[in-house]
Amino acid sequence: MKTLSAIATAFIALGTVARASDASVSPLNDSRPVLQELQRKMSEVRSLYLEFTQERHLKLFSEPLKSEGVMLLDRPALIRWETTAPYQSILLGNHKSVAQFESNNGKWTKLKLGFPQLLRRVMEQIALIHQGKLDALTNDFTMSVETGTDGTELKLAPKEETMRSMMSWLEVRLRPDFSATREVLMYEPGGDFTRIIFTRERHNVTFPAGTFDQTKPLDIAAVRAAVDHVP
Amino acid sequence: MPAQLFPPEALVTQRGVLTVRGRQFSVNGYVARSQTHGLRLIMTENFGAVLADVLVNPEGKVFVMQSKPPFRRAWVERYIAADLKCILGHGIETDCPVRSLGPTHFIVERRWYKLDLWTVETKPGPQPAEMFDVTRTGKP
Repeated sequence: MKTLSAIATAFIALGTVARASDASVSPLNDSRPVLQELQRKMSEVRSLYLEFTQERHLKLFSEPLKSEGVMLLDRPALIRWETTAPYQSILLGNHKSVAQFESNNGKWTKLKLGFPQLLRRVMEQIALIHQGKLDALTNDFTMSVETGTDGTELKLAPKEETMRSMMSWLEVRLRPDFSATREVLMYEPGGDFTRIIFTRERHNVTFPAGTFDQTKPLDIAAVRAAVDHVP
Repeated sequence: MPAQLFPPEALVTQRGVLTVRGRQFSVNGYVARSQTHGLRLIMTENFGAVLADVLVNPEGKVFVMQSKPPFRRAWVERYIAADLKCILGHGIETDCPVRSLGPTHFIVERRWYKLDLWTVETKPGPQPAEMFDVTRTGKP
């Protein structure tokens, strides 16, 4: 489960530089050129600001369970994952440490985290991806690429059996030019899946001081205001 | 009684912080509540992975449909199900160390843990009968 979370989050980061639609796509015999181009694009990205809607599709429920949030990434390995609805929660990470804050009626409380090393692993995965080190994933995944008129789909199937018991495959849907991510889908063996739809994306923004502060993180409204002012 | 704060038929979303031995874990709870069929809770971690799946029938009988680490099956049955019944059950649990700090905020304090629980969304309406089918686990 923890590895699954790590990989899922990592691929959200991956997806951010590269998007597609449900339009028909066809597999490529040789996906290496596309992957190389994707890595090249990723290496150009210094920072990322993303707004997303996450849908958790469980067979048991007739409607998906939805949440909204933002994800921020900055080099070398700063990450902020914030859920903004239906509840407010902030996860912050860097190479060395992680922190989590929960909002109680607008007042933020820092948690004394259990299993912080697991969350840090998530951050490390994201850092790898963010730095364009896609090769680091080939040990764990079989990658394939499908392309169509409307975009590109990157599919990753876990090689290891334990991982496959948790995640059948992961799909990153990209724009044809890899300029943005449309969505990331993570399929589980039982038929449940998670869909993350990116609604707004900014590259190479300069985040204001305190954005990644693990003691008193800057309010997301202030971060958004700063991002909005970037040309 | 916290249960009176919820519609008799609803899907309730809750966010909780569980404190065990000084360490804290955030969890999400999605509860289908039905007057005629009982309660069904799916508990997930931050990124959506299911940690526990519990069904409680109208008589209060507990069925643990799934439990995943760090939650052991016995723990789910003994504590998670009990807290579920205390907060959303129709008076089917008597051992309820629950304090209501407001209509959406509850504190459960037992010897081994403290749960700080917020109701973040309530969607009133009948819940599908299949959700309360003990043979339907949602697992592969």
